[in-house]
Amino acid sequence: MSLQSATPVNAASPQSEREQAAQLKKTLLQDIRRSVYVFRVDSGGCNACDIEIFAALTPVFDVERFGIKVVPSPRHADVILCTGAMTRAMRMPALRAYDAAPDPKIVIAYGACGCTGGIFHDLYCVWGGIDKIIPVDVYIPGCPPTPAATIYGFALALGMLDQKLKASQYVETGDERVAVNHPRIPYDLRILLEREARRMAGYRQGREIAENFMALLEQDDARPIAQRVTEFLARENDPRLTEIVHSLEAICTGESVGTNR
Amino acid sequence: MFKLLKEVFRTGNATVRYPFAPLPAAPNFRGKPHYDAERCIACAACTIACPANALSMTTDVAAGKRTWEICFGRCVFCGRCEEVCPTQAIALSPEYELAVLDRADLYQTAEFRLASCRICDTPFAPRKEIDYVVALLVQAGLPEALAELRRAMLEICPACKRQSQVSREAGAGGLHQIGVTP
Repeated sequence: MSLQSATPVNAASPQSEREQAAQLKKTLLQDIRRSVYVFRVDSGGCNACDIEIFAALTPVFDVERFGIKVVPSPRHADVILCTGAMTRAMRMPALRAYDAAPDPKIVIAYGACGCTGGIFHDLYCVWGGIDKIIPVDVYIPGCPPTPAATIYGFALALGMLDQKLKASQYVETGDERVAVNHPRIPYDLRILLEREARRMAGYRQGREIAENFMALLEQDDARPIAQRVTEFLARENDPRLTEIVHSLEAICTGESVGTNR
Repeated sequence: MFKLLKEVFRTGNATVRYPFAPLPAAPNFRGKPHYDAERCIACAACTIACPANALSMTTDVAAGKRTWEICFGRCVFCGRCEEVCPTQAIALSPEYELAVLDRADLYQTAEFRLASCRICDTPFAPRKEIDYVVALLVQAGLPEALAELRRAMLEICPACKRQSQVSREAGAGGLHQIGVTP
């Protein structure tokens, strides 16, 4: 066996479907008059997707009320649900499961990894998506998809709901200009506030808190800022938020510049 | 038996009616990034921050265009793009119904025009970004007339800036001494 292959390792091409199978699949999608049997293939996932699939089977989401049932063998399956980024080690088991399933079969790529390889898309041992190996019919993005997103994906696969996401292209036209956020707050102060809020609350909530606080500062209101802030905090009634907003207030009044960081 | 039935009636039905009735996402849920191309200045901060490379930007100098692209199939919903965006053009929305039948539907693109360098006439930076920098200078306290004067400097590409710097140094006799000719 030669060590050098003619094609690069990652240049895989998906198995092609036979024409007859494609015809059968159309009828399967349109009038399936029985339960849908799902076989789950983990082709190198981190298990978060599998946990969400099982969450979709719990009484709260209960996909079995639609007759969607997880089966232990690909020979019973109508739907093959593939999670994971298709790693080198799991590609043969995934291919064997695909080949073992009887012919009108739907393949669903589940999660960011299943759709495109996700955060692992450029690793050396990863093919980057289920559709590099086997033809995929439905993509369910999400990292991991919530049980509700899972139900939506199945409803889409079985033709119960319509697709919401569409490809979109935007082309810049005319003389668009982007205005600066919070034009009435000095630029340096804005940076200090955003930095402090993020330091205390993390990047996502910190940004939100800083935005709310700056909106409060910019309000056209006759009352003094301290009173407005107190009213806002009383309304929110959250000790964590109170702590952070007081810290931001101290920056505005110049009490803590250079001491907190 | 009666006790059990009583318990069943008391508990009621725990299953959500989801596909038949909308299911609102939990507060702070991180769903599909909502992108507002009109607020975007094509600065590429999000494409650098994106850990999964779901966001990408390609510059076509010949056509004078820069194309921003997001692949929802690769997004891991971390919100880093939302954090770094200086104009709040991208923000995570509570939308989670993202499943598609065709892979092409997972992509969203936006195309921006590039401004040309005043000296060599090569497109080098998005027009909107330069406008935004001027607006930022005004906000930072520079009088508007002066900020507009700065625009002449901002609309020169880095290569030409270096070139003019070198010529200036050479004119002052600084570089001839170490044997560099501009």
